[in-house]
Amino acid sequence: MHERLSFHIKRDSFIHNLNPLTKLVLTLTLILIAFTFPWYWTPHLLVLVAIIPLSLLGKVFREFSVTALRLILPAAGFLFLMQAFFQPVGSDVIFKFYFLDVTQESLMFAFRNAMRVFVMVSAFTLFLVTTHPSELMSDLTRRGLPGQFSYVIISTLQILPQIIAKSQTIIAAQRSRGLDTESSFFKRAGSLIPLVGPLVFGSLMEVEERAIAIEARGFTSKQTKTSLHEIPDPSFDQMLRWVLVALIILSIALNLWLS
Amino acid sequence: MAFVNLQNVTYKYPLTKAPVLQNVNLQVDEGEFVSIVGPNGAGKSTLCYALAGFVPHFFKGEISGSIEVDGKESSKSTLDEWVLNVGLAFQNPFNQISGAKYTVFEEIAFGLENIGVPREEMKSRVEDAMALTGIRDLADRSPYSLSGGQQQRVALTSILVMRPKLLVLDEPTSQMDPIGTREVFGTIRKMAEEGMTVVLVEHKMEWIAKFADRVIALKDGSVLLEGKPNEVLTSDLLVENGFGISRYTSTAREAKKQGIWKKESLPVTLDEAAEGFTK
Repeated sequence: MHERLSFHIKRDSFIHNLNPLTKLVLTLTLILIAFTFPWYWTPHLLVLVAIIPLSLLGKVFREFSVTALRLILPAAGFLFLMQAFFQPVGSDVIFKFYFLDVTQESLMFAFRNAMRVFVMVSAFTLFLVTTHPSELMSDLTRRGLPGQFSYVIISTLQILPQIIAKSQTIIAAQRSRGLDTESSFFKRAGSLIPLVGPLVFGSLMEVEERAIAIEARGFTSKQTKTSLHEIPDPSFDQMLRWVLVALIILSIALNLWLS
Repeated sequence: MAFVNLQNVTYKYPLTKAPVLQNVNLQVDEGEFVSIVGPNGAGKSTLCYALAGFVPHFFKGEISGSIEVDGKESSKSTLDEWVLNVGLAFQNPFNQISGAKYTVFEEIAFGLENIGVPREEMKSRVEDAMALTGIRDLADRSPYSLSGGQQQRVALTSILVMRPKLLVLDEPTSQMDPIGTREVFGTIRKMAEEGMTVVLVEHKMEWIAKFADRVIALKDGSVLLEGKPNEVLTSDLLVENGFGISRYTSTAREAKKQGIWKKESLPVTLDEAAEGFTK
């Protein structure tokens, strides 16, 4: 009931204490380099020299490796298989599976793409795990992101679990009055109809009340908003961001130049 | 000139046929604690929205007459300016939690962030407001993990922290136990004594009798009766018009018919009833 849609793990680490924007730029840098740097082994190396060290530096290695093994690796593995079998490149057939040819090129191609996806999802996971959503949003709002935008993001993260809880309450209430939720698929699908009304209309009513409540607290005030928490942005962070941006530009430039 | 002044206010929501408020005239002095009672559908909540500027600025619809607070006219103001002077808390606490904040402390600071209060002042104002409503121990909890009564206190605190001149409350204690209700009424009373003007919609007659300065009885969108709490809350007009009355009042009414209740005036609270019956 009280669960929130947040991956954030509270720790005190070098990564946690970085400015949220720096972490966002770092994440994008890792992803863009993995996808654009014109050297075959780039994403593989990034896992070793960036993703794993960063998870250690952020003191979230244990949680990260669990997520990586259970979620990211299977997804990347699936992608690898699909691409290895269905990518029609190369002539050097290693083995045949019915009508599907696996060539050395398609294997190499699939391996790199799977690693790229692995880097992308891992980088985002590390970002979400080490950054509190409200810190990220208040930092971005301070830098000029419209307040409405960050409100929508944060409140969705918080209110979705509440709506799920409410739908379960409605289901329980309907079941106690004889609603069938355990027989055939079509019967169950039909039994969802009485759920939709209360949930959708109830949620719409709530939206109106919530709009009044936040309006009463000056949400549309024309004043420049302030923030309860100070989010530090030391010169180290600013420098780091410029270095990362330079790396992105370098990687993209090399990619364009060599292609 | 009264602090709050409603002159012939008639209002109709965009999708209703009949007006919800009809020729409402209402004056409230600065620092006065006025309570509004009335049966369901009497227009109590609409009146609250009108005072807080949401009627007509948020709900649109047709309005005539004038609404003035602190010398300013609602129709000539915008909602974001109006809410700086008039605070509104209403019944359902769950929908008053902004959803944008992860702790109660941040939740209460939300309004101050919006109106641009500097950080240090914000912190001390939030601390003060939490001390006032007795929710300091909830500061680090998630607003969604609280009980209904606790959420109502957070909602009330979130409005109090903005220090409005007029506080409009629409059944702010509906989910509270008697102890919580007493504390919240005490807090509201204190705010009124410090100069905040309070308009409170409430069903709990005994508490109104104990704490409010004046009671206004609303029926079908018009003012039926107004005056001192004990006069209004024991009036025969209330019973005739389908208002809920305190159980002590109705007991004494019956007793009076049978000649057991000897006093002229009827009680609203337990203490008054006990005193009347024992003498």
